[in-house]
Amino acid sequence: MAMAQKNASAAPMLSVRNIHKAFGSNEVLKGVDLDVHPGEAVALIGGNGAGKSTLVKIIMGIYQPDRGDVFIAGNKVSLNNPSAALAQGVYLVPQEPMLFPNMSVEENVILGFEEKTADLRKRLLDFTRQMKWEVDLSRKAISLSIAEQQLVEILRGLMRDSRILILDEPTSALTFDEVESLFRVIGDLKAKGISIIYITHRLTEVFTIAARVAIMRDGVITLNGPVGDFTRDDLVKGLLPPDAQENERGEKRPVPECGRGKPVFSLIGFTGYGFADIDLDVHRGEILGLAGVVGAGRTELATTIFGRDEVLRGKAILNGEDITGLSTPKVIEKGINYVPEDRFLNGIYKISDVAANTSSARLYLMGKVFLKRRDERELTNSYVKDFRIKITSQEQSVGSLSGGNQQKVVLARALSTNPKLVILDEPTRGIDAAARGDVYAIINRLKAEGVAILLISSDMEEIVELSDRAIAMYHGRINREFEKDRITQDNLMAAAFGAV
Amino acid sequence: MKILKTVAQAREFTSFLFVVALFLIVGAINPDFLSLQNILLSLNGSVVFTMLAVGIAFVIITGEIDVSIGATLGLAATVSAVLIRDGSSWIAAVLAALAVGAAIGLANGIGVMILRIPSIIMTLGINGVVRGLCYVYTGGKWVENLPFDYKALSQATLTGEPGSVTWFYLFAAAIAIGIYLLQTRSRRGRYFAAVGDNEGGANLIGIPVVRTKMTAFLLCSLFAAAAGLMYVSRIGFVTPTAGNGYEMKAIAACVLGGVSLSGGIGSMIGAALGAVIMASIGRILVFMHFSSNYDNTITGILLITIVVGDALLQKRASERARRKRLSARIAAKPGGGA
Repeated sequence: MAMAQKNASAAPMLSVRNIHKAFGSNEVLKGVDLDVHPGEAVALIGGNGAGKSTLVKIIMGIYQPDRGDVFIAGNKVSLNNPSAALAQGVYLVPQEPMLFPNMSVEENVILGFEEKTADLRKRLLDFTRQMKWEVDLSRKAISLSIAEQQLVEILRGLMRDSRILILDEPTSALTFDEVESLFRVIGDLKAKGISIIYITHRLTEVFTIAARVAIMRDGVITLNGPVGDFTRDDLVKGLLPPDAQENERGEKRPVPECGRGKPVFSLIGFTGYGFADIDLDVHRGEILGLAGVVGAGRTELATTIFGRDEVLRGKAILNGEDITGLSTPKVIEKGINYVPEDRFLNGIYKISDVAANTSSARLYLMGKVFLKRRDERELTNSYVKDFRIKITSQEQSVGSLSGGNQQKVVLARALSTNPKLVILDEPTRGIDAAARGDVYAIINRLKAEGVAILLISSDMEEIVELSDRAIAMYHGRINREFEKDRITQDNLMAAAFGAV
Repeated sequence: MKILKTVAQAREFTSFLFVVALFLIVGAINPDFLSLQNILLSLNGSVVFTMLAVGIAFVIITGEIDVSIGATLGLAATVSAVLIRDGSSWIAAVLAALAVGAAIGLANGIGVMILRIPSIIMTLGINGVVRGLCYVYTGGKWVENLPFDYKALSQATLTGEPGSVTWFYLFAAAIAIGIYLLQTRSRRGRYFAAVGDNEGGANLIGIPVVRTKMTAFLLCSLFAAAAGLMYVSRIGFVTPTAGNGYEMKAIAACVLGGVSLSGGIGSMIGAALGAVIMASIGRILVFMHFSSNYDNTITGILLITIVVGDALLQKRASERARRKRLSARIAAKPGGGA
C-alpha cells in the first residue's frame, strides 16, 4: 500500500491531455484527460461507443488525434504509427489476440526484434518462468486457447520492456481459473512498476485489480478517482447520462395489457454458441427489450433463432409450433424476421434501388418466373408513404439514402413478409434524432398491429422508452428480467454490467 | 529422431511424398518413366517453372497474388533475346531482363500497396500491358537465329555428358534452398509469412507491411525475368506469346507444394517440388499414352481441387475456433455446475 501511495505521488508515466478525435462528422472523443502512474492499474469502463477503443488506439499510434497531446514519462511524444508507440514502451493487448496463427509461440513473441535469436529466446524463457507458464514454445499459436494467446501477447509486451500495458477486455473470453491466473500476472507486472490501463465491462474486476477507475461516456471522462472512493452503484450511475435520473422519476407508467395470455414466441432452455439456457416469452403486440453489452451474446442469440447457427440445446416455439433449428428461409416462412445490427454488412443491397430492396424478402410471392413489377411498385409505394421514407424515386439506389432512411427500407422489407415476430438488432444505431423518432413510430405501429417484437439494444434509453418488458443478458445468460414499472436505465445498466 | 519427426510433419514433406508417389504410379504403368535418365530430364525440364514458382511464392505467402509473371517472362525473354541476337554482351542482356523485371515488380507493388488496387486486378492489367509490349517490341515477329553458344548454356551439365543434371537446374535448386533457409531462419525472411498470416497483427508489432509486400512483388518479377533468360537459352527462340499461361502452372506448383493461397503458410522448397510435378505433367501424359493436349486441363483441375480442399479445411478450423471463443464467453451456471 505504501508502495502504491509513493507511486501515485510520482510523476505520471502516461498523460493524455485534451484529446479530440472525430470520424467524419461523428465526434468520438471530446477532450479526454487521463493520467496513469508507474505501477498503477487504471480501470477504464464505459458503454458501447463511449470512445474507449478510440482512445487506446490513439495511445497505440493506430489513430492520430485531431487535437491534444500525449506525454510519456513527462515528454511530449507524437505517435504516428504503432512502431513509434512500441518504441515509447506502449503495448496494447487487443481484445481478440492478434497473433500469427501459423507460427510458433516463440516466433510470435520474438518477431520484429533486432537482437540475436539466442538472446531473445533466453529472455523469453525467463519471462515464461516468471509468469509460471509452462508452454511448449514450438506450439503453433492456432492451437492455443484464448487465455494462452493473451499470455503470448503479454509476453510480447514484456519483451519490449513496455512501460505502459493496455489490456482491452482481457477476460471477456476466459474461464474463471484463467481469469485468476491472469490477475496474478497483472499483480506481478504492477509490482515491476509497469503502468496498466485495464478496459473492462465487468465492474467486479475494477475493485479487484485497479487502483483508480475512469468512466468514459460520450467521448469524455465523466468520473475519475481512486477505486476506494466509489461503490458499485456510483459506477453504474457514472455510466448513465446525467438526465437519466430525471427520466426515472417520471410518471408511474402503467403495466401494459398486452403480454398476457399465450405467448407468440417462446424460448425454452435455448442454448447455442455464445449464449446458454435462455428462457423467454414474447406475446402478441408486446415489445420485449433485450439489453446487454457487446459480447453478451444477444446478436448470437438472434442469429441462431434466425437459423444462421447451430442450436445446441433447448427449443424455440412459434405459435405452438416447434421451429428449433430450421433453416433461415424456413424461419422466415414461419413468420419471423430479423433486422440485423450492421445494415451495411448484412442489411441492404446498397446499389440496388429502393423498390428491389423492399420486395427482396418476398420475391416468392411476386410471380413464378418474372417479377410482377406493378406489385413491387405498389408494395414499395405503400411503405414509402407509411414510413415517410425520403426518396426521389423508387429507382434511387439504397446506398445513396441517409442512414435513417436506409433503416426504414430495411424495416419495410422485414414487414413485407407479414411476420409474427420481428427481431430488431440495434435499430437506431448511427441514425439522427428525427429518423430515430420515425423508427420508434414504426416500431410502435407494428406493436399496435399485433406483431411481437424482440428489441435488442445497447442504448438503455431506447429500451426504457419502447419496451413492455425487458431482460438483461450478461455473459451469455439472462441476468435479470424486468416488468414495465421496473425498467429503468439504472436497473438495466446494473444488470447488463453484471453489478447485480 | 527429432529432426526426422520435424521433417515428417512439414507440409513440404507431403509434397515430396506426392512427387515420389506420382513417379512410382506412372512408373508402375510404364517402367521406362522410372529410368534415371527420365527423372533427370524431368528435373532439368522444370527449371523455368521452378524459378517462376519460387518467385511467386513470395507474393502468395504474403497473402497476395501475381498473375503477370507469364507476360513478365515473355518480355524479359524478348528483350534479352533481341540484345543477344544483335550481338550485345550477355551481361547487358541479363541486366536488361532484370531491369524489365524490376520495373514490372515495382509497378505491381505500387499499384497494390500504394494505390490499393486488389492484386488480382492490378497484376491482370499489368499482364495485359506487358504482353502487349512483347508484340509492340517485336512487331509480332519471332526472335530467332540466336547464337549457338547462348543456347548451349542450358545444355551444360554437371558431368559434362548430355543427360546429366544441368547447371541451370542446380542453380535454380540452390537458389530455392538458399531462399528457403533465409525465409524460414532469418528475421526479415519471416516477415513475409507474418504479413500473410495476420496483416493487422504484423502492423501492430511494427513489421513494415507495405515494404515487405512491395519487396515480395519485386522479387517475384525478378525471378520471372530470370526464368525468361533461362527460357531463351532452353527454347532457342522467342515468340510474342512466350510464357503465356505459365502463371497458372506456377500458382498450381506453389499450391501443390503446400503454399496456402490465403497467405502465411508454405516455403520455397515446397514451391520448387510443386514445379517438378507441373513440368512433368506433359511428360507423364505421354508415358501413360494420353495426348499431352490435356496438360492445361489437368493442371487447372489439380489447382482447383487442392485449393477447394484447403479452403474447406481452413473454414472448418476457423468456424470451430469462433464457436469455441463464443462458448468461452458464457458465464458458469449460477450456483455452480458446468
